[in-house]
Amino acid sequence: MAPGPDPNSVGDGAKRDEATTKVPSKDPKKKDDKKEEDLSEEDLQLKQNLELYVERVQDPNPELQKAALESMRQEIRASTSSMTSVPKPLKFLRPHYGTLKEFHKNMAESDLKKLLADILSVLALTMSAEGERESLGYRLTGSEGDIGSWGHEYVRNLAGEIAEEYTVRQGEESSIEDLMDLVQQIVAFHMKHNAETEAVDLLMDVEDLDLLLEHVDRTNFRRTCNYLTSAAKYLPGPDDMLVLDIAYMIYIKFEEYPNALQIALFLDNMQYVKQVFTSCTDLLRKKQFCYMISRHGITFELDPEMVENDVDREMLQDIVNNTKLSEGYLTLARDIEVMEAKTPEDIYKAHLLDGRASSGPSADSARQNLAATFVNAFVNAGFGQDKLMTVPSDSTSGSAGNWLFKNKEHGKTSAAASLGMILLWDVDAGLTHLDKYFHTNDNPIIAGALLGVGIVNCGIKNDCDPALALLGEYIDKEDSSVRIGAIMGLGIAYAGSQNDQIKSSLSPILNDAKAPLDVIAFAALSLGMIYVGSCNEEVAQSIIFALMDRSEAELGEALTRFLPLGLGLLYLGKQESVEATAEVSKTFNEKIRKYCDMTLLSCAYAGTGNVLKVQDLLAQCGEHLEKGDNHQGPAVLGLAMVAMSEELGLDMAIRSLERVLQYGEQNVRRAVPLALGLLCISNPKVTVMDTLSRLSHDTDSEVAMSAIISLGLIGAGTNNARIAGMLRNLSSYYYKDASLLFCVRIAQGLVHMGKGLLTLSPFHSERLLLSPTALAGIVTLLHACLDMKSIILGKYHFVLYFLVLAMQPRMMLTVDENLKPISVPVRVGQAVDVVGQAGRPKTITGFQTHSTPVLLAAGERAELATDKYIPLSPILEGFIILKENPDYREE
Amino acid sequence: MLTVSVKWQKKVFEGIEIDVTLPPYVFKAQLYDLTGVPPERQKIMVKGGLLKDDADWSAIGVKDGQKLMMMGTADEIVKAPEKAIVFAEDLPEEEQATNLGYSAGLVNLGNTCYMNSTVQCLKSVPELKSALSNYSLAGRSNDVDQTSHMLTVATRELFGDLDRSVNAVSPTQFWMTLRKKFPQFSQLQNGMHMQQDAEECWTQLLYTLSQSLKAPASSEDSDAVKALFGVNLRSRVHCQESGEESSETESVYSLKCHISHEVNHLHEGLKHGLKGELEKTSPALGRTAVYLKESLIDSLPRYLTVQFVRFFWKRETNQKAKILRKVDYPLELDIFDLCSEDLRKKLEAPRQKLRDEEGKKLGLQPKSSSKDSDVKMTDAAEAPSNEGGESSTAAQQEGASSSSEKGTHMTGIYDLVTVLTHKGRSADSGHYVAWVKQESGKWIQYDDSHPSIQREEDITKLSGGGDWHMAYIIMYKARFVSM
Repeated sequence: MAPGPDPNSVGDGAKRDEATTKVPSKDPKKKDDKKEEDLSEEDLQLKQNLELYVERVQDPNPELQKAALESMRQEIRASTSSMTSVPKPLKFLRPHYGTLKEFHKNMAESDLKKLLADILSVLALTMSAEGERESLGYRLTGSEGDIGSWGHEYVRNLAGEIAEEYTVRQGEESSIEDLMDLVQQIVAFHMKHNAETEAVDLLMDVEDLDLLLEHVDRTNFRRTCNYLTSAAKYLPGPDDMLVLDIAYMIYIKFEEYPNALQIALFLDNMQYVKQVFTSCTDLLRKKQFCYMISRHGITFELDPEMVENDVDREMLQDIVNNTKLSEGYLTLARDIEVMEAKTPEDIYKAHLLDGRASSGPSADSARQNLAATFVNAFVNAGFGQDKLMTVPSDSTSGSAGNWLFKNKEHGKTSAAASLGMILLWDVDAGLTHLDKYFHTNDNPIIAGALLGVGIVNCGIKNDCDPALALLGEYIDKEDSSVRIGAIMGLGIAYAGSQNDQIKSSLSPILNDAKAPLDVIAFAALSLGMIYVGSCNEEVAQSIIFALMDRSEAELGEALTRFLPLGLGLLYLGKQESVEATAEVSKTFNEKIRKYCDMTLLSCAYAGTGNVLKVQDLLAQCGEHLEKGDNHQGPAVLGLAMVAMSEELGLDMAIRSLERVLQYGEQNVRRAVPLALGLLCISNPKVTVMDTLSRLSHDTDSEVAMSAIISLGLIGAGTNNARIAGMLRNLSSYYYKDASLLFCVRIAQGLVHMGKGLLTLSPFHSERLLLSPTALAGIVTLLHACLDMKSIILGKYHFVLYFLVLAMQPRMMLTVDENLKPISVPVRVGQAVDVVGQAGRPKTITGFQTHSTPVLLAAGERAELATDKYIPLSPILEGFIILKENPDYREE
Repeated sequence: MLTVSVKWQKKVFEGIEIDVTLPPYVFKAQLYDLTGVPPERQKIMVKGGLLKDDADWSAIGVKDGQKLMMMGTADEIVKAPEKAIVFAEDLPEEEQATNLGYSAGLVNLGNTCYMNSTVQCLKSVPELKSALSNYSLAGRSNDVDQTSHMLTVATRELFGDLDRSVNAVSPTQFWMTLRKKFPQFSQLQNGMHMQQDAEECWTQLLYTLSQSLKAPASSEDSDAVKALFGVNLRSRVHCQESGEESSETESVYSLKCHISHEVNHLHEGLKHGLKGELEKTSPALGRTAVYLKESLIDSLPRYLTVQFVRFFWKRETNQKAKILRKVDYPLELDIFDLCSEDLRKKLEAPRQKLRDEEGKKLGLQPKSSSKDSDVKMTDAAEAPSNEGGESSTAAQQEGASSSSEKGTHMTGIYDLVTVLTHKGRSADSGHYVAWVKQESGKWIQYDDSHPSIQREEDITKLSGGGDWHMAYIIMYKARFVSM
């Protein structure tokens, strides 16, 4: 909104200003004379002329009237160009506004009356009382001439009055046609004069954004759309969708397909995505679209309508299926020279701690080895090599070759599955490595191998569906650990795919009276992942029945929380669609009812920034409850989930959490670090880091544990030295406490995840898009962390692998037209918000020039530093195809 | 006949023909030839699952030219190691304790930190432990009374418990017997047992042990405690007025470090402590006269105990007041100049040897020019194995009977091993803590039930001068050299 300045105050100010500035130039003897006499001769002349015109206008002779009005108009127009002060003619006419108004009222209908109305309309700009909207009134009765001829300020004022008038008329339900004509004119004027934001504001006020389509052109559509998309974040539904729809249409109109696709993905509108493909004819650009879709992590099938040629389609589908992700990631790793595998000891850096460096060769601790397994998996994720699991097993050495057996019982599950993490995205090699573990008769190992297959296939789709073929066999096995391995593997491999075949094999488990609780919990969770954000009725029904069938005792179990969570994931980000299910959840046993309610609410509004929901959740956190109620944990997490999408809301949420921390009950405090971790995931803000560091020494060990894990989350994949140092000190501080030390180790692994090449942030494409599967993975882990002792520190530690859903290289990799990596110089710097700024402002600040591939940290943006190539997407993240610039000339 | 391509690992085998009339097992045999993966370990992904050996090709719906994917390796199947891995979590408690590298703490039973810290300090002497473990009822001499015997046994049990346990040990039994033997420790104040002076506890306990651990033969040599801690002093008592002079010898368990205005360092305090004035009846003068007593060390103990005389009875306030003065003490103490002439002579050769070894360790040539090069060579070869710390540990193994036999010799140089500190303003209040050096070289602070690792540089900061913990009783261990 750009409200016109209050005309009166500006007038006064200008007058005073004039008086003081003009004084020195005056003849000293006139100094004390009346104000009128302060005027220069020119001004005096003007004033007298205008007074004469006013008199003449009231003359009965129409000829004279007309001449006077014309001259008056001339004078006004000639001077309205300046905006810094009230134009002189307007100032001098101020005293006569009343007279002219009176006269106008008594005039007969005629052109002259209209002419006078025009002038009055302009005069009302400074004279009209607040809320009278006289300017608009006179404008409507005036001659309807070119609106811009009266100057910019006049148009802006008019726009403001229209908005007010519109609301009034909406209330009275009277016609708005005359207003809309005016709106047309104003919008056209604004769009021509670089005032897109004002045009959009006006149209939003009069609820007719479609008009915009007629007025955008090649020069201003970008700024318009930019404003629209960023305004959408602050609009209540369904207006935000409407605004984005318009932006999408504008982008399509100007063939700015990557942006259009981005908005289509934001709206989760597959029809629009398809339209982008059908509208675009360039194959190379379509490849770029495929890269964008693959980053978003949704399942998308290309059909002949989108790409005609079969060979081309197969190639594009390969890109969508992410089959080249591993290759690109390894290119980045080789370029940055971090291929060398790291051991957990390289991460712990115990030699930097004094005192306890040499603890000596003590016996293997199962807990510490398990931690090392996870650290090894996270650090070497996707590199295809490590020093514990993939080294050729040598029966003589016994130390490295048999790392698997240095883990105890269920620990072996996580160890075998860690192979999947190490070979992440490389399906062929991954399956080869995992194969041998299928042939043992040690159930935990088989379970791990199954889970590993799921992890390897995370985000990758393959025509042969190896994960389904392999894991499907094990779903109904006898041993529940094997079943869980297979079920969780399917959930990870097929997250977001809405695969019917899996649904038909997993749903029966949910309502199988004989199935153990943990199998049911993981089945519900996996179904939630596979159908994330789909609002699928059938799956929802199955989970609801499963929840209703649980006995009182089972509802108290820690793992039961995965049932409501699975249900919530079905509605991730789908807002109102959750309401029917939320109603049903009110009938649940009271032990789980509130928990379910909070989980559903927070999932449904995740990433929307809905302020009302944030308030609801905050109110829940503020209650002081009897012991045994456990729904406040998900409420705190929900707060973060809802608020995480947008910067301002995020900062506010961080501040509110600080309050919650001070006044909340213990079970609320335990969830606060996790919420902070979610808000700043892979984005180590110093203030949050300090808060978490403080909490990591909390006397309540569960608060400390969540704070430690969260330190890992906010630093995930950043190699942040400060967090690494904090964790190192914590590792010596909690030297004797095995559980806390385990958490510290996990956090250390997270900070060095992918040796610093990965991110866990579910947001991508300049923080606009939210990958639903990534968020699902993180939220699941956080819910598991709400009861750390029985899940992660118990025997279900492998839920940590759910993070794989959110793991993505934080890279920008440029490829040529044949999709081969090429190196070009790019500038990488802090992103600057340029929405609504005039001119062509810089989009990054404090940049450094590198050559691709480069890493992008949170809040950073890249731009090409050469004109030799043209990027096919304006959003320089992930894979970017470069086209040679035909106009480029070597200098 | 269908033609398909099969992808296996990173390889693609093109143009494999399938005879749809034969069962898939035949197809697997074909693949066995190509890949070397035995059919039973082949996993071929087809629509809807894995290819079964007896499936019907028509039902599977494989199309001509389709790409199949096969998983399977000819690798060895992973086998669990024959020797199962033992995890620390499964170990019995005492083995977990050894893993930590230090033993457990002691529970405070109500103002018993003076006792806890004393026990922790004495426990760090391995020779005392072994002497205790050899102690048995049968071997006790008749002049040991029942309570002393019980206290000795309780000490032995407590040391054993500490070594076996991971969690803090409650020294209830020990405390009971200690109070029985020395009723002064049962003093009550406001219904609580009072804080006691750690030095008193230390001295009394050591005295009891020395009595009960005396071998039946009761020869001087076999007093284990005395051999470990006893310092023989030869004093010259001189009366200035009469010019009389006499000499006497005595055996003490600790040296005193007197703190006066001039004393800034342990060494000065020790010197101060070895000089004293006493009044006694002079046979020559027929009245009491002031005698000057100057003592020198005549024999060195394995463990040299030094007590800082920080407490004195303040008559005005009727309590033991504390001297807060900072008195520095070194990690390595040389008491050569406190020794008697005879002892000095004995020490000279070993000391020279030690210096040579240290010099070599630093890469310096020994000064001796007269020796021929052959000797030097052998010296150099021996040196690394006989470095300071190691030789002293070697010496421990030989038992506490004698220090100067079989090639190991005292050098008059001592290394700090335990520090018992006091924090607070008077001996009967405040808090006692033990700081003990482990065999691994790590320093552990035993604050009742909480052992924690400390840095060596922080140990020397316990020298007083403020309200922080300050050293009260410190113990040095002799450094030996083998000749």
